[in-house]
Amino acid sequence: MQHEYKSNYLSHVIKIILVLVVVGVVGVAVRAMVLPKSFGEFGHYRGDAIQDEINRPNRHGTNASCLVCHPYIREMHLAGVHSTVSCEFCHGPVADHVKNGKVTNKLPKKEGKEIKRLCLRCHNQIIRARPKESIKMISMPQHLEQKHVRTDHNCNQCHNVHAPLMWVNEAKAMVGVGEETK
Amino acid sequence: MMMDGIEKEISQDRRAFIKKVLGGTIAGSLLLVIPAGAMELSAIPEQIPGMRDDTGTFISKKRKFAFIVDITRCIGCGSCCVADKNEYQVPDGMYRTWVERYVIDDQDNVFVDSPNGGLDGYQEPRKDIEHPVRDTFFVPKLCNMCEHPSCVQVCPVGATYQTDDGFVLVDAKRCVACGYCVQACPYSVRFINPKTKTADKCTWCYHRVRKGLLPACVNVCPVQARKFGDLNDKDSEVYKILHQPHVVSVLKPDMGNKPALHYVGLRREVV
Repeated sequence: MQHEYKSNYLSHVIKIILVLVVVGVVGVAVRAMVLPKSFGEFGHYRGDAIQDEINRPNRHGTNASCLVCHPYIREMHLAGVHSTVSCEFCHGPVADHVKNGKVTNKLPKKEGKEIKRLCLRCHNQIIRARPKESIKMISMPQHLEQKHVRTDHNCNQCHNVHAPLMWVNEAKAMVGVGEETK
Repeated sequence: MMMDGIEKEISQDRRAFIKKVLGGTIAGSLLLVIPAGAMELSAIPEQIPGMRDDTGTFISKKRKFAFIVDITRCIGCGSCCVADKNEYQVPDGMYRTWVERYVIDDQDNVFVDSPNGGLDGYQEPRKDIEHPVRDTFFVPKLCNMCEHPSCVQVCPVGATYQTDDGFVLVDAKRCVACGYCVQACPYSVRFINPKTKTADKCTWCYHRVRKGLLPACVNVCPVQARKFGDLNDKDSEVYKILHQPHVVSVLKPDMGNKPALHYVGLRREVV
C-alpha cells in the first residue's frame, strides 16, 4: 500500500506568494521613490539632464562679444592677418571679465618673454609638423639676425600683436622702401 | 566764544566730509549699476545658422551634427586645449580635448607625444628620432559622438545618454563614477573628474551649440582646422566636405561605433 505524501495544507504556498507580492510592491514603491521624475521621458536617462547641460554657464563668448566694447582694437584686429585669432585664447574667457553686463575684472595681458612664447606656439618653424601653407613660419634667432636687430628683442617690439604687419608696413611707407608685406 | 568758533568749524568739516563720502559712494554704486556695454547672449551673432529665431529662442527641428578636424590645416598651437580648459575649468592632468603630435620616420617607426595634452603648445621639436622624418603632423582628439556609443550601452545607472540630435552627454547628478564607460570608450576620451567625482568628457559644447554658438574649440581655432555644423543644412561647410570628394576618414571604423567626428587627411598610422 502506497503512502499518500501529498499534503492538503497550502500555508507554505501562501507564504511564498505573500512574500513575492510584498517584495514586488515594495520594489515598485522604492523604484518610484528613488527614480527622478523625468527619468524615461526620452529614453533610459533623466530627461531634465538635457536642460541641466544647456544651462551650463557660457564662459567663452566669441570675438564679436569682445570687440563690441573695444572699437579701437576691433578696427586693428579685423584689418590685420590675425583677424582669425581668438581674443579669448590670449586674454582668457570673457566670463572672467564681464558678468551680467558689468565689468568685474581686468583680463591679463601677456608681457615680455611670455609674448615670445605665445607667438612661437604658432610661428615656430622648428616644429616641422606644421603645414607650411597655413601660416607664416619663422625660426629664432635667425629671423632677428636677418632683420639686423638685437637677438634679445621681443616680437611685439616690431609687430603689433593684433595686426602684425601694421607697424612694419607703416614704416615701409614712411621710408618709401620695399613692397608692402602681406 | 573762541570754543564756539572751533566747534562750528569742526561740524562744518564733518558735514563736508560726510557729503564727500556719500557722493563718492553714490557715484561708485552708479558705476556698478549702469551696464558697461552688456555682453548679452542675444548680442552675440549666431554662429550656426538656423539655431535660434529673432527673439533668441532655440528652434527645435531635426538636426544631425558633425565635427570635422582638418589635419592638413592643424598647426598644433593648442588654442583649442586652452579654450576647453577655460570653458569647463578642467582639473590639471585631465583633458577633454588634446592634440597629439605624430612623427613617422623613413623606417615607418611611429612616434607619438602630447606633452600636457598640447595645452602649452609645442615649443620644442622631438630630439630622439635617429632616422630622417618621412611625415609629421598634429592630430587633435576629442569625443567622437558615436552613433552607437559603447559608453551609453554599459552605463548601469542611465547617467550617460544620447540626445535626439546625436550628442552623447553625462548626467553628473546620476553618475556614480563606476568608471565602466571610461573603459568602454574605444577612443579614451572619458575620465573621472576628481572635482565633481563623476565621469566627464567632451560634450562638443552642447550648451553653446544650443544657443547657436560654435563649440569653444572651433571658435578659437585660428586656421579653421576644426569645423562644426549641421548635416541637414546643405549650405554648411561640414555638409560640403562630407558630400564632395575629400580624403575623409574616422578613427577605428572597425569598432562599429560610427563616429560623427571625421578627420580630413587622416593617415593610416593614426589610432
